[in-house]
Amino acid sequence: MTLIEFDRVTYVHQTTGGTALKDINLKVEKGETVAVVGENGAGKTTLVRHINGLLKPSQGSVRVDGVDTRETTTATLSRKAGIAFQNPDHQLFSDSVENEVRFAMKNFGFSDATVAERCDWALGYFGLEEYRKTSPLILSGGEKKRLTLACILAWDPSIVILDEPTVGQDANQKEKLSQIIKMLKDGGKTVILVSHDIEFLWPMQPRLVVMSGGRVAADGPMGEVMGNKELIEGARVTQPQLLRLYLALKAKPRTAFLEVQDAGRWLSGGAP
Amino acid sequence: MSTLASVRGLSFRYPDSQRWALRDVDLEVQQGEVVLLAGPSGCGKSTLLRCINGLIPHMYPGELQGTVTVDGQEVAATPMSHLAQTVGLLFQNPENQIFMFSVERDVAFGLQNLGVPRKEMRARVDDTLRMLGITDLALRAPHELSDGQKQRVALAGVIAMRPKLVILDEPTSLLDPRTALDVVDLIHSLNRTHGITFVVVEHRLELLIPIADRLVVLAGGRKVMDGEPMEILSDGRAAEFGVSVPPISRLYDSLGREGMKLPRVPRSPEELAEEVER
Amino acid sequence: MYWLAGGFVFRRVISPFHKLDPRVKLLISGEFFVLALAAFSIVEVAGVLAAIILTAAVAKSLRRIGRVFVFSAGFGIFIFVVNIIFGLGLVSAVLYSVRFLAIISSTSVFFVTTSPDELEQIMKWFRVPRDVVFAFVTAVRFIPVVMLDAFQIMDAQKSRGLEFEKGSIPRRLRNTIPLLIPLVVNSVIRSGELAEAMESRAYGSTPRPTSLYGLSMKWYDRLVTIVSLVLTAGALYIYYSVRFPF
Repeated sequence: MTLIEFDRVTYVHQTTGGTALKDINLKVEKGETVAVVGENGAGKTTLVRHINGLLKPSQGSVRVDGVDTRETTTATLSRKAGIAFQNPDHQLFSDSVENEVRFAMKNFGFSDATVAERCDWALGYFGLEEYRKTSPLILSGGEKKRLTLACILAWDPSIVILDEPTVGQDANQKEKLSQIIKMLKDGGKTVILVSHDIEFLWPMQPRLVVMSGGRVAADGPMGEVMGNKELIEGARVTQPQLLRLYLALKAKPRTAFLEVQDAGRWLSGGAP
Repeated sequence: MSTLASVRGLSFRYPDSQRWALRDVDLEVQQGEVVLLAGPSGCGKSTLLRCINGLIPHMYPGELQGTVTVDGQEVAATPMSHLAQTVGLLFQNPENQIFMFSVERDVAFGLQNLGVPRKEMRARVDDTLRMLGITDLALRAPHELSDGQKQRVALAGVIAMRPKLVILDEPTSLLDPRTALDVVDLIHSLNRTHGITFVVVEHRLELLIPIADRLVVLAGGRKVMDGEPMEILSDGRAAEFGVSVPPISRLYDSLGREGMKLPRVPRSPEELAEEVER
Repeated sequence: MYWLAGGFVFRRVISPFHKLDPRVKLLISGEFFVLALAAFSIVEVAGVLAAIILTAAVAKSLRRIGRVFVFSAGFGIFIFVVNIIFGLGLVSAVLYSVRFLAIISSTSVFFVTTSPDELEQIMKWFRVPRDVVFAFVTAVRFIPVVMLDAFQIMDAQKSRGLEFEKGSIPRRLRNTIPLLIPLVVNSVIRSGELAEAMESRAYGSTPRPTSLYGLSMKWYDRLVTIVSLVLTAGALYIYYSVRFPF
């Protein structure tokens, strides 16, 4: 079923007068994983902010789970679509980690029992139990990022939007993030990733939406979309290294390499 | 090539901390080099940078052992006003390094602080704006600039002081890949044309490998690897230390272990394809 | 609020008035201020107001300063009404409200035509301590940045179900905490980063920093100064020697 629908959406900034989105048509089905890429200013962040109603279209409409975003509030839409923003310091304010996790659920009116149960789960899953009573403001950068994710998953939205989750993260943290995204996918969640990090996205093979100049320049499986070198470079995006390798080889396997192991095995004469 | 910066047996511990942020680090930076510094979060990279430019110990006291010398001056014994003319430090977020209301005045900021006379200041500001390709931005206000432009302005502010060594703390982390490549090109040209020595801390190694002369890996406050960039990345241990190794380098290493040792370390996927097909 | 504040915010415009040395601009604003304060009759105050409007026109900033008029008009009506209620008479009521208009717009003239850089230069000329000047300049420079932070924080908290506009007054006040705390925290973090950057660029090395631009009076600055002083003196003379009917 279609969970998110953009119908001829155009968005014009009130203060600057610039058109950030031009005639966007996009449908996201339940359970899909979609990556939105493009250079800064292409409209990625503006696009996802329409999903939970922070921005309302100047023309056209956005429907989430059948509801037009202009007919409801951000608070109501956020129950279904949670956005993890890039900067945790724009969010954390509570006197303790557990209160931070509880904040959104309390706003949504969950019962005390549910709040406690979900909070326990979130702290456990994200390895934050030891910080339960600590102030969130003194955690390290990586811990803060985990905390913001914990806050969102605690209220179990069916749509999870991650805005540049890999910025400033080292290899281990990115690995953990990959696992969390896999967990979300396995749990049937609809995941939307706004990211520059092509290498991070490549093994996941999400549906790729390339934004350029406020328009959707391409929309399809990542493997296919990335193969179109001209289009990708026109949108000022880079191709993943393993894909470039695949394209550069004269003798190729059936499909492009997703992981280093696949490439290694094929090249040294292993798997077909 | 002469040694520009020399770190010997450096250990540092912040005042209220039990653990050592840096332990016994030895590092030498040669004049004209581009050194890439990598390592997982919390490995001490930021601390090391601040030890080299003098913020440690002048602004951040703590327990410091060992010596850091830049251009013949011992950092702990030289005031910041002198150090600022030898070592420049560009922080991660350009927004918080641009103080003034217009670009040219911000570039002049350091020169004002040093009491440089107006005529010379004007010449150096214009010269620096030209070096960084931002002459047309001279009168703009910072909030009118794009991220990439802000990064250049912040760098101009540092370079205006004509330091021999410029340290950059994750300069591309807040930029998109294309803008990041522009910044890397800029660093490369400043290095080649003006002979400025660079030490760059980065997670996104694939961007900087093409211009790096050396790669140094820190982990847990210690230096664990130091040498030729592609060789280090192609050495499986780098990934164990938590460094984000680009796929091609990991592939080269894994092929080697499967018995397929390629003659040259490939710098790009296309090169690797060529090597394999031979 | 935002629109209104624009009446006191500098905008880059090319006009004869903008070209003047900032000290002269300060002088002229000060003269308007004094003349508005010292006026005895409606005719005099109207004259000052006319002069202000004329200056705004020369500075191509009528619309900007017009915003201030709108604001003052509201308060001016309040003053008018208070005067009437307290039986001070129609003439007095009109006088005080128009006087208020003139005073506020005289300050607006200065701020709209003087850039923060020029404000910095004036402060230096008045020998304001280096650190105070720097704090002022940095504060102005970061206003748009802090505003952007505030919007992003509001977005983040709205996305967690926080509704800023709903509820009783106490509830709404409590709802500002998730906005204020991150704002303060971010400012503190920002200050730390600024301090590092300042140190790294040798801030404080000398008690008398030099500057890229200096203030120097041109011939037209001197001319305008003399002419305005003469006009002001003339106006004051008229104030004290002529009795207007109202």
